[in-house]
Amino acid sequence: MKSQPVSFEQLLAISLCLALALLPHLGSLPAWVLVAASVSGGLRLALAWRGGAAPPRSAKLLIAGLAIGLLFLQFHTFNGLSAGTALLALTAGLKLLETDTRRDVYVIVLIIYFMSMSTLLEGDSFWLLTYLIGVGWLTTATLLRITTALPAPDWHSSMRYAGRILGQAVPIALVFWLLFPRFSGPLWHMPDDGQSAESGLSDSMSPGDITELALSDEVAFRVRFAAAAPPPNERYWRGPVMHDFDGHTWTRGRPLAFGAPTLQPRGDAYRYTLSLEPNQHNWIFALDWPTHWDLPHGSLTGDYTLVRPDPVSRPIDVTATSFTHIQYPEPLSNFWRRRDARLAPNRNPRTVQLARSLRSTHPDDMEYVRAILDMFSRQAFYYTLTPPKLSDDSMDEFLFQTRRGFCGHYASAFAVLMRAAGIPARVVTGYQGGTFNRFANYWIVRQSDAHAWDEIWIDGHGWMRIDPTSVIAPSRVERGLNDTASADNLPESRWQYHASWLADTRLRLDALRLLWRERILLFNDDSQSKLLEWLHIPEPDGQKLVIVLAAALSLVLVWLTWQVRREIDPTRKELLIRCYSKLCARLAAVGLPRLAHEGPEDYAARVAQSRPDLGRAVGALCRQYSSLRYAAAPTPLTVGQFDAAVRAFHPRRGADLDGHARGR
Amino acid sequence: MRQAFINRLRAWAARRHGRDSLPLTISRRRIYILPTRVGLMLAFTLTAMLIAGLNYNSNLGLAFAFLMAGVGLVTMHHCNRNLLGLQVDVTAEVDAFAGREASFEFVLRNDSNVDRRDIEIRCLDSGATRCVAAKSSEPVVVAIPVPRRGVTRVAQFELRTLYPFGWFHAWTYVQGSLTAHVAPAPRGNRTVPAAEGSGHASRSEMRGDEDFAGLRTYQPGMPLKHMAWKVLARGGDAAVRSYTSLAAQPEWLEWSSLEDQDMETRLSQLCLWVLESDAAQRVYGLRIPGREIPPSRGTAHRFACLRALAVHGLAEPP
Repeated sequence: MKSQPVSFEQLLAISLCLALALLPHLGSLPAWVLVAASVSGGLRLALAWRGGAAPPRSAKLLIAGLAIGLLFLQFHTFNGLSAGTALLALTAGLKLLETDTRRDVYVIVLIIYFMSMSTLLEGDSFWLLTYLIGVGWLTTATLLRITTALPAPDWHSSMRYAGRILGQAVPIALVFWLLFPRFSGPLWHMPDDGQSAESGLSDSMSPGDITELALSDEVAFRVRFAAAAPPPNERYWRGPVMHDFDGHTWTRGRPLAFGAPTLQPRGDAYRYTLSLEPNQHNWIFALDWPTHWDLPHGSLTGDYTLVRPDPVSRPIDVTATSFTHIQYPEPLSNFWRRRDARLAPNRNPRTVQLARSLRSTHPDDMEYVRAILDMFSRQAFYYTLTPPKLSDDSMDEFLFQTRRGFCGHYASAFAVLMRAAGIPARVVTGYQGGTFNRFANYWIVRQSDAHAWDEIWIDGHGWMRIDPTSVIAPSRVERGLNDTASADNLPESRWQYHASWLADTRLRLDALRLLWRERILLFNDDSQSKLLEWLHIPEPDGQKLVIVLAAALSLVLVWLTWQVRREIDPTRKELLIRCYSKLCARLAAVGLPRLAHEGPEDYAARVAQSRPDLGRAVGALCRQYSSLRYAAAPTPLTVGQFDAAVRAFHPRRGADLDGHARGR
Repeated sequence: MRQAFINRLRAWAARRHGRDSLPLTISRRRIYILPTRVGLMLAFTLTAMLIAGLNYNSNLGLAFAFLMAGVGLVTMHHCNRNLLGLQVDVTAEVDAFAGREASFEFVLRNDSNVDRRDIEIRCLDSGATRCVAAKSSEPVVVAIPVPRRGVTRVAQFELRTLYPFGWFHAWTYVQGSLTAHVAPAPRGNRTVPAAEGSGHASRSEMRGDEDFAGLRTYQPGMPLKHMAWKVLARGGDAAVRSYTSLAAQPEWLEWSSLEDQDMETRLSQLCLWVLESDAAQRVYGLRIPGREIPPSRGTAHRFACLRALAVHGLAEPP
C-alpha cells in the first residue's frame, strides 16, 4: 500500500501544508533556500499536472547535492538552529521534487512536524503556537486523506476527525508538559549562530550619527517591585557604561576583569523581579545600584553593571535588590581616575577651551557642574529626536552650532566638559522610567525608554549621577518620553498617548503577555516543585515528579480509552435521542414525566396545560425535536443547536406543584 | 525470520483463542497492535523533537512535541477501536475450480455510530479492503488462488487495519474454518452425452412436448396456468394438472463413457459437462466410481456434483 502513487490534488495539498509551515521562517531563512524549496515544489506540481512522474534519480541527486553544498558554504555547519532549519526546509522542498508515493508523503509530514517544533524553539508568542498547531492540524488531515483507501473522506470530515484526535491529545500533552522533568541547563551546548538580531542598547554610542531616533515600542524588560516603586527620578536602569571617547563615538573599552568595589547602601532597599526579553547582550538592566541578585554566574563589573557570562538569548527572570542611594567607602583608584578623565587629543578644541575658561571661574567641582547645567538650561539648547548630523568634532559642532539633540548628545557633551576640567566622568547607558501597568501592577520598560546619563567622581562623595537631559527636558525624566515627544511633533506617539482607551487596551494586552511569559514560557523545574507542593506532596524531587507523571498519565489514558470506546458502543443512542431524553429528564425532575405512550407534541401540550409558564419553551423544543427526527425535508436547525437549546433549558419547580407535593 | 515470527504468533493466537464460532464479535482481548515502519519513523521524529525542546529549554517547542506525541497515542487507540466490536461472518462459498480462485464471502457488520474505514480481511496471502459505514454491514469477497483440485481449508483468517494515518497496524486472527471444495478445472472436447430414451431429441421437443400425467392437490405457489378449473367448477378440491416433460428425461454424465482417458482428464470433462448441463437448465445425474448422484437440477445439485468431483480419489477429509 505504501507504493501507491500520489495524485496531483494530494501533492498540491501537502505542498500547501509545507508552505504554511515555512511561512514563519520567511524573514529568517536565506532567501535562496525558500526559492529553491518553492521552485522544486512548483516543478513537481507542474509535472504532476501534466500527469508526469518525478524527475529521474540522477537529476534529483545532482540538485540535492548542489543545494546541500551551497547550504554548507553559507553556514559552515549543520549544527545549530538556523542552519538546521535551513537544512530541513531545503530537504522538505527537494523531497517534494521526488515525491511519488505515499511513503514520500509520510516523510514530508514528519518534516513539517519537526519544522513546526523548531520554529517554536525560537519564537515565543501565543499566536505562533496557535498558528503552528493549526498547520499541524491541516497536515494531519491531509495525511488522513492521502492514507485512507477509497472512498477517501472529504475535506470536512477529514478536518473534523483530525481535530477530534488533536482534541483528545490535548489532555495527554498537558500532563506531559506539566510533569515531564525539565533540566535547568541545556543537555549540550548548541552553537549560537549569531543569526538572531541584537536589539536595544549596544557597546558604543555615537549620537552624531543619528539623525532620527527610532522610537521602538518593543519591550526591553518588565519589572515587578515587591513593594513600592522608587520615584520616577530615581528609576534609572543601568546598562553598559562608556569610558572611551574618540571625539565622535563613545565605547565601552576593554572588558573589565576585576570586580566592583563594595558599596555602602543607604536608604530604602528595593526588591524587584526583572523579566528580561532576549537582546543578545550579556548585561542585565538592574536598578541603579544593585547589591544582591539571584542570577547564576551573575556579577558586577568594575563600573557596577550587572552582567552574566552568556548573552541573554532567551527570556529570563532575575530577582534583585537595589539601593537608589549609596556611598563609596573607597577613594577612586588611579586607574579609573586616569581612564575616566582622558580625552582624545586635538579633538573638540572649542569645547575644551570652553571648559577651561569656565573652570577658571568655578574652581569648586559642584559649582562647576552647576555652571554647566545652567548653561544648558539658560542658553538655546533644545531636546529633539531628529537632530542634525554631526562631524568628527561632534561636541564642538553640537555645543556651538546645532544645539539640538537627545539624551546621548547632552550626556556626551557633559562628560566631555567634565573631563576637560579634570573631573572623572563617564557615560552610562540604560533605560529610564517605564510605563506602569495598573491592571497587573508592574512596569513596562520599552526600547523607547532607552536613555544615557553621566556619572562624575566628586572627591569625598564618590560617583554621582548627573542627568543633563533632565535640565533640557525635565518631563523626559519626570514622566517619560511620550510627553517630550508630543512637543516634538511625533504624531503617532501623540495619539497613542492621548487615546486612553487604546492605551488601556495595550496595557491589558501586555499584562496578558506577561502572564503568558511567567506561566508558560518560563515554566521550569521550580514551577514543577511548586506544583507538587500545591498537590500536597512533601519534599518534591525529580523522582516524585516522575511518579506523579506516571499516575496522571494512567488516569488520562483510562479517560482516553473510555472516551474512544464510548463512541463505538452500539447501545449508545444517537445524539438527538439523547438530547430529547435529557429534556424529558429535566421535565420529570420538576414533576412532569413523559408518559410512555406520549409523543413529543402530546407531551408538550400536556406540559403547557399544567405549567403555562413552561408551555412556550417546551412546545418550541418538542416541535424542534419532531421536525429533526421525523420531517422529510431537511430542517434549518442542526442537532447541535438543539443540543445547546436543551442544555440551556432549566425548568424551575412550580410553586403550586411544591405545595401539592408537600400536601401529600 | 519475520515470517517465522508471524507464524509462531498465529499458532499462539490459535491456541489461545481456540476455535471461533461465527459470527464473531471482535473483543478487545484478541486485537493486537504494533507500530508500522512509518509509525517507528514518527516515534523517532517525536523523540528528536523532545530532545531538541529539552535542550533549548523551550516550553512552546515541548508543548508542540507533546501534542504530537499525544496525537500518536490517541491514534493508537483509534486504530485499535477501528476493529473493536466489529462483527464478522462467513456467508457463502462459491464455486471454485483448480487453477483459478476460490472466493470466500464474508460479511462485516458495524453496529456502532462511527464508520470503520479501511478494514482488510486477509486469507493466506490475499486480501480485500472495505469501509463499513456506521450501522451497516458490508459484504467482502476474498479470492484465494487454488492451484489444485480437492478440499482447501483455511483454518485462520485475519482482520487488519492501518486506519487512521497508517502509523499503527491493528489486527486480529479468527479461527473460523473456511472450506473450499475445489472442483477440477472444467476442460474437455466431448459433447454432453444424450439423455436416455429419446436419442438426440431436438431442443423444441425437449422444452415443448408435454404428456398429461394426472392431477395433484393444489398447494399455494403452484402455477395458476396448470389449475384444473373444471374440477374446481364441479365442486371438487382445487387441483392442478401435472405433466411429465420429454426434456426432463435425465441425462447421465458417466465416468464410464470416458474410458480412454486418465483420471484428471475425465474429471475435468465431467466438470465441464456439469456446468454446461446446469447452464442449459437440464436435468442431469452424475455417476462416478463409488458415487452416484441421482438426476436433478439447481444450485444445490450442481454443488453436490462439483463436490463429488472435487474429492474424488482423494483421501476423505476427517
